[in-house]
Amino acid sequence: MFSFDPYSPAIDADPFPYYQRLRDEFPCFWSPEAQMWVLSRYADIVGAGADWKTYSSASGNLMTELPNRAGATLGTTDPPRHDRLRALIQHAFMKRNLESLGEPIRAIARGAAEELRGERQFDFKDFSAKFTVRVLMAALGLPSGDEALVDEATVREKAVLMVQSDPHTRAKGPEHLAAYHWMQDYAARVIALRRAAPRNDLISNFAAAEIDGDKLDEREVLLTTTTLIMAGVESLGGFMMMFALNLADHADARRQCVANPALLADAIEESLRYNTSAQRFRRRLTRDVTLHGQTMREGDFVCLAYGSGNRDERQYPKADAYDITRKPRGHLGFGGGVHACLGTAIARLSVRIAFEEFHKLFPDYRRVHEQLPWMPSSTFRSPLVLDLAVQ
Amino acid sequence: MTRITYIEPTGEARRVDVADGWSLMQAAITNSVDGIVGECGGSCACATCHCYVDEARLGDLPPPEPGELDMLENAAAERRPNSRLACQIKVSPALDGLVLRLPATQE
Repeated sequence: MFSFDPYSPAIDADPFPYYQRLRDEFPCFWSPEAQMWVLSRYADIVGAGADWKTYSSASGNLMTELPNRAGATLGTTDPPRHDRLRALIQHAFMKRNLESLGEPIRAIARGAAEELRGERQFDFKDFSAKFTVRVLMAALGLPSGDEALVDEATVREKAVLMVQSDPHTRAKGPEHLAAYHWMQDYAARVIALRRAAPRNDLISNFAAAEIDGDKLDEREVLLTTTTLIMAGVESLGGFMMMFALNLADHADARRQCVANPALLADAIEESLRYNTSAQRFRRRLTRDVTLHGQTMREGDFVCLAYGSGNRDERQYPKADAYDITRKPRGHLGFGGGVHACLGTAIARLSVRIAFEEFHKLFPDYRRVHEQLPWMPSSTFRSPLVLDLAVQ
Repeated sequence: MTRITYIEPTGEARRVDVADGWSLMQAAITNSVDGIVGECGGSCACATCHCYVDEARLGDLPPPEPGELDMLENAAAERRPNSRLACQIKVSPALDGLVLRLPATQE
């Protein structure tokens, strides 16, 4: 009897054989463990993503939703409210508005790599975590340096914890909820600071923003800020771990990227396809839908398994092969439709610069352990530790 | 399925059958139409799916929302009265036979 339990450690470690069976045999599958339907084919996921009226995000988008969050963030509201909220924020994340961040990001990457100079073996997270938190602090204008409210390592630790879930209870555990509340408190302090003395940064502007003359709801300001920090730190850091893993395992691809760093952009796209950190998000049906002979009912939750759609042979020939020459257009590594990731441009820019700088010091590396400890999460996927041996 | 024709900057015409509900951007990407980039994934945040709609058919499309009009300011190629962002147009039978011309550059 086939089962697909997104809380299972086996799925955390390697969901891809399960995805294959889902796509081929159970393209519209009810998972009793997750209490939701699972869509796994590329075309079905794209179709659902486009149809936000039917596949609503308003009841939450994380597979295991955090309490009191749904309805107050970009990812958990539907248009038209979503579009108005997003319009307030996305300007800061547009490619052309990020150009001024290029040099600061490079300096951060260089600094984080320099701290590892001379090491023969290290956890890649020692690079990616520092890099990610510092980049996010710069991009969002979070207090840093002498003004820092908290230390960098704690921000990273809490962001990673709050997206996890307990494999036994299939819910958020006390430690995950505590991390979520810690992040809310941190966001609240930053918002208060920026309100008292506004700057020209994203959070100052957002905290003062209005829609149709009305100030944003406090819960929207707080939870959207909390989510930006969480998503920025966890998604960017998690993806960097996956990208480093791919380049460690595919020495030819890495050597090509080291010899010609311009190829990093293509390698990043292929890794986003091959094993994006954002594996699964959920929606909730606003009407009955019949698909592949199954009828899903209004009110049912539906998982959109982006990580599976990206491996769908119907869309990508030889989908299980890692090929940096593929140029996988339309991949679901950032999701898709109105809720496609807000941070696509800064993610692409940051990861490229990070690896350009990292490779200057560490052009040749391999992973130390065959077995990796994978993050327990029903939504995201990345190793918690990635020990690399420098050659 | 609704028939849509994309005319690449090279002049090559690409006819694609599109499922109702898909966006014109997503249909182009999925069918390897090169003149559409769709960098942001379809959230009206990058203006790299800029297209010129056959003027005679403009009335068959729902009018652009303010967010699309704002984002069109960022299009790399010349903005014209028939400029639209393909990610904001959902395919329906009313669009059958629509022709879109793609600009010389999106970035």
